[in-house]
Amino acid sequence: MITLIVIAVIVVVLIFVVMGAYNKLVALDQKADQSFADIDVQLKQRNDLIPNLVETVKGYAAHEQGTLNAVTQARAAAAGATTVDQKVQADNMLTGALGRLFAVAEAYPDLKANTNFLELQRELSDIENKLAAARRFFNNAVAEFNAVRAQFPTVLFAGMFGFGTEKPFFAVDATDRAAMTAAPPSVKF
Amino acid sequence: MAAVGLQTHIWANNTRSILLLAGFPVMLVGVIFGIQLILMGFGFLPSSGGTLEQDIAYAGTMLAGTIPLAVVVALIWFAIAWFGNQAIMDGLTGARKVARKDSPELYNLLENLAISRGLKTPTLRIIDSDSLNAFASGLREGQYSVTVTRGLMDALDRDEMEAVLAHELTHVINKDVRTMVIASIFAGIISVIAQLVVRGMFYVRPGGRNKNAGPLILIGFAVAAVGYALAIVIRLMLSRTREFVADAGSVELTRNPDAMISALRKVSGRSKLEAPDDVQGMFLDNERMGFTDALFATHPPIEKRIAALIRFAGGRDPGPWEGETLGGPGTSVPVSG
Repeated sequence: MITLIVIAVIVVVLIFVVMGAYNKLVALDQKADQSFADIDVQLKQRNDLIPNLVETVKGYAAHEQGTLNAVTQARAAAAGATTVDQKVQADNMLTGALGRLFAVAEAYPDLKANTNFLELQRELSDIENKLAAARRFFNNAVAEFNAVRAQFPTVLFAGMFGFGTEKPFFAVDATDRAAMTAAPPSVKF
Repeated sequence: MAAVGLQTHIWANNTRSILLLAGFPVMLVGVIFGIQLILMGFGFLPSSGGTLEQDIAYAGTMLAGTIPLAVVVALIWFAIAWFGNQAIMDGLTGARKVARKDSPELYNLLENLAISRGLKTPTLRIIDSDSLNAFASGLREGQYSVTVTRGLMDALDRDEMEAVLAHELTHVINKDVRTMVIASIFAGIISVIAQLVVRGMFYVRPGGRNKNAGPLILIGFAVAAVGYALAIVIRLMLSRTREFVADAGSVELTRNPDAMISALRKVSGRSKLEAPDDVQGMFLDNERMGFTDALFATHPPIEKRIAALIRFAGGRDPGPWEGETLGGPGTSVPVSG
């Protein structure tokens, strides 16, 4: 009789442990996915600022058509990207194009003094900071999910529930990382 | 299970909060039990007529009768204290209300945060003080409010201010003000009962001494004293877990742990503000100088809060802030105007 009760208690406890582990994994998984989607929020905000920027620069530096076109095209590509890989690639290209645009703008003192331009530059810089923060937050959420998934005893049944694999961190593409660590970007005045 | 990230840190602290809150009824029962022992020792309650153990066991069975009575008394007390608290809180909200056009940037920060959580924007208020502090108040929907000091607005940059507003908004979302008022009412009930009995002990003339009087009274006194002390400690521990959760909630809302850390660095040591106890518990920071810090502080030390943010939220610490603020300790919270 006593053994039956003990076994029943153990089974109930086990059920609660497994339930708890499953619910935790579900919640952390959602958090990680949400943080990934939140990066898109920042990307969209940056995208929306760009037409203004292009128009302002056009007003002063109309013959920098090449650079301006590059930015517009990169923006369109970023807006149209669907898969994660496309998004990352488009985002990289846009960052590069924006960088070139600001470098070019250095040669136009009137443009540099224009308050619209300065404000847009400040806002873009702010969004880049927010993007970095969103990515770090995403990494945090992924690390938390991975850690909880791999901890004992959750790791024993994680596979059963469809949480068998780790999530990847926000990572820079291998060639990009090589390029970035190789040499600092040159700033010419 | 140890916390490994932001969510698990929040869950751990919420679990701690629930356990602490559950401790209050236990303390109440303990204090009542202790009082019964004392009354039994003085002969005001019938005893079992046997040994000390039998008397204590008898007091245990008496609980079946006293607990329902205590519950009824506590509920009535709660109701009275709750509405009393409302009135005090309303009186406190004499800090200046801020409309969107008075401080558009600040108002927009708060509104954006509220929108991102699907909340009605709490009222924004400003206190004209040079101290760097902020608090959340309000017990009910429609009464929620976030107050900041002028000193805070001057010293913090946009991201840091957003982090502070997000911290206070998290208090509002989690209904922490309500939780702390409940805790403080409980602590009040326990404290008053314990004190009444202890004082009563000196004035009373025992009727019909119980033969186990001495030990009974001593044990009863010890139990009541421990219950009283623990009630205070529990209330403060509860307040500290809520602060950790609010810091974490700020990072959840803003995605920016660095801003929260640097805001805490700026506020540290510059947050002195006069206000009633309950409101002080809701400050951004409430430093207590002196020996009684660790156990009697309503807030965890800044270093611990920053360490938690670094460990669970991936923040980075810029180190102590060397900036200057104007003036000395803050002025009192105005009652009207």
